[in-house]
Amino acid sequence: MSRVDVVRAAPGDFETVLLRLLGASDARVADLFASTASTAPAAPAAPAAPTAPGGPDGAQPDRAITLRAIVASDAEGGYVVVESDFEDGVYPPLSDLSPATFVEECEIFEEFSARPMGGKPLNRVLVPPHAETDFPRLGTGPPVVEPGVRAPHVVAGQAFEFPVGPVRGVGQESLYMGLVTTGEEVLDLYLHQWHKHRGIERRVHGWPAERALFLVERAEGLSAVATAWAFCRAVERAAAVAVPAPVERTRAVALELERLYNHAAAVAALCQSTGLSVGQAQAEIALERLLRVNLAAAGHRYLFGTLAIGGVTRALDVSAVRALLPEAVAELRRVVRALRTTNSFLDRLEAAGTVPQETARGLGLVGPIARASGVEIDCRRDHPYGPYAEHPPEVRTRHSGDVLARMEVMAEEVEDSRRLIWDLTAAGLDSGCVPVPYGEPATGLGWCESPRGESLAWVSVDEEGRIERLRLRPASVRNWRAFDDAARARNVFTDVPIIEASFWLTVAGFAR
Amino acid sequence: MAFWTLRGLLRGVVTTRYPAAGPRDQWATALPTPPRFVEGHVGPDVASRVVAVCPSRALWLDGDALVLDLGACTACGACRRAAPHAVRESGVSELAALRRADLVKRIPLRASAR
Amino acid sequence: MSGRSSDSTARPSGIGRVATPQPKAADAEIREVATSLAESVRSFRRSLHIRTVDTGSCAVCESEIRLLAAPHYDLHRLGFFFTPAPRHADLLLVTGPVARGMEVALRKTYDAMPDPKAVVAVGACPLGGVFAPDDWVHGNLDAVIPVDVFVPGCPPSPLALLHGLLLAVGRLGAKVTEDPFTATATPRPAADAPPPTKAVEVSQPAVAAEAASRSETT
Repeated sequence: MSRVDVVRAAPGDFETVLLRLLGASDARVADLFASTASTAPAAPAAPAAPTAPGGPDGAQPDRAITLRAIVASDAEGGYVVVESDFEDGVYPPLSDLSPATFVEECEIFEEFSARPMGGKPLNRVLVPPHAETDFPRLGTGPPVVEPGVRAPHVVAGQAFEFPVGPVRGVGQESLYMGLVTTGEEVLDLYLHQWHKHRGIERRVHGWPAERALFLVERAEGLSAVATAWAFCRAVERAAAVAVPAPVERTRAVALELERLYNHAAAVAALCQSTGLSVGQAQAEIALERLLRVNLAAAGHRYLFGTLAIGGVTRALDVSAVRALLPEAVAELRRVVRALRTTNSFLDRLEAAGTVPQETARGLGLVGPIARASGVEIDCRRDHPYGPYAEHPPEVRTRHSGDVLARMEVMAEEVEDSRRLIWDLTAAGLDSGCVPVPYGEPATGLGWCESPRGESLAWVSVDEEGRIERLRLRPASVRNWRAFDDAARARNVFTDVPIIEASFWLTVAGFAR
Repeated sequence: MAFWTLRGLLRGVVTTRYPAAGPRDQWATALPTPPRFVEGHVGPDVASRVVAVCPSRALWLDGDALVLDLGACTACGACRRAAPHAVRESGVSELAALRRADLVKRIPLRASAR
Repeated sequence: MSGRSSDSTARPSGIGRVATPQPKAADAEIREVATSLAESVRSFRRSLHIRTVDTGSCAVCESEIRLLAAPHYDLHRLGFFFTPAPRHADLLLVTGPVARGMEVALRKTYDAMPDPKAVVAVGACPLGGVFAPDDWVHGNLDAVIPVDVFVPGCPPSPLALLHGLLLAVGRLGAKVTEDPFTATATPRPAADAPPPTKAVEVSQPAVAAEAASRSETT
């Protein structure tokens, strides 16, 4: 049911193959990334020493890339990895076929200096916009930022740019928001997320997969389980290892616990952004309780270190989950019920930050944001993994695509996650790790439905299980690109924090 | 305002203090804590094993001592799993220090090899 | 508000008690608690304002910092407040491994804070635990701005953060200073359970007083 096919296409056929795959109903390009060409033995990837990433400085050899597009067929289930070698650093403009891949094309240019044919302008995603023109940074750090660099404050005519960030409010991640406005209405909004870029994908080159897992969890800490599970599945697939079903159920319980606390945190953030401090306090009580359930169950408030390659590191305390979880979920349910009858709250949410269904599809959104816009995708159901074939989730959708719809989707997913946890624990959990034998150099794709949506990981490991190329695509990478659209849609200034809370994304996941 | 203050005082709830005796609740004792090494059980073999598994560069060897950097430690438990007889959970999760050096602990190695 | 933050089991009785007339016998107790309260409040005459900077954290330390203001921990009861402006801030909480892209923003924030100021490094990342220094991150906050308090943990729990904040303003002592992090050689079977945590060294005798044992944080 959940297959991964690898199609190797000649450079000339790459576009045709993709077009044919995308012709199927509900097929979408889930990810697009490049790696140094596997056919060029003269230029191996960055050496093992992580402190000296000294990639080849000569520009020309770098430009030979292997391009991989991951196509997800949501209707039939299964992913197809289409790969092709491009010698001269030019490849077909895939964002013409699927606008969702534009950000990935920018990332590929920044890393490998390869660009789509036709010379379309590319944004800078993970390097500063004022970087030098020779900025592709394979194996090099970000350019030094001059202290005097400032954002332009006047855009045109009467509009001006209201710069927010990168240092923002308390407990908010670093993110630069350029709010273009004439005073009240948000005319335009653009984001810079490069400040936080930590180069995790490059950093783990040459590391054993077990060691890389430590950083993978910390790529996006608020979905540590989901990112780690996707990564573990990728490595397990590369090593052709099957994890026993009871162990997979343990992972799934951890994943659903993660979803619960994230959705509680999103509700708390929504209350904070609407200035509803009573609701915020109540939601935070629920959040803190859920975090304590995590602590009692797995020994970590954010479930770090629960998963390992080939299994889990520790058994979950099922009795603690069953004893503590109902009260915590009930607390959250009370909050949401009260919020749904609070008119002053609902007025702020309705018709704010609307993402229409076409936009959601076109930008390749995933997770609760897509579901709130009527795009019915959930990779737990569409591409069942682990125990989700026997325990399918109920996919909740809304069609209005506004902040309220997103909150309602999250609230319903809370109930569903609670049900899933009960079903999974009743089916029996187990802990332990199966040994992972690495033999041939291999590649693998893993996926997982994080609280924010589909999270993908693709690895290439050598015969000793060392990472040659890691590609992480947390849901945040996809979903941030709808933020400016949502903020522009006839919203005023004060709607922006509300929209941000309802998206509940992390910058860390984007600038991994 | 006075009403609420009075109410809090009546119930013996003083909200302006840090809990003087540290965390006592069950939930707080379950917080992950850095390792505590059992004296006499940390030989060179154990030391090199735990240094190898530490994912956060919190352990290293310095002459005849194993150095534990509590600042870098993420309390992930990898060393406890690698050497269960020599490493325990310390139970100390409030580790704030004013000097970086206070967080670096030297654990003397047992001289003989077993 | 205080009722919300206590356990749900305690809530109904607390509300009930407010409705009933106060018994005379409690007066002495109230006075006693109020006196000790005033005494400890005197030790932080000025309130302390906190600014946070994320320099590349994984968003979990941010979550714990947000929870400091949540009812279970209620930072404000200790006289700490969050401020959105560095010019109003006395204390800077820094999370993350100091990504080089954030360096300028971090320095500007630090420079904008009026003296005296304190910097608290939050979590294993700014202490050099998670990311090795390289082209993308500094790895150590110490290398960029002077740090006054180090709060380890991945992430530090809100209780550990509170301890770090109180350490920063000199209202509590450090616990780790004397602890050698070695256990006695005789392994007892019961030692698998976490040992009882030592009482905090307390800088003011008043803070060690009785009633705090029922503080709402726990």
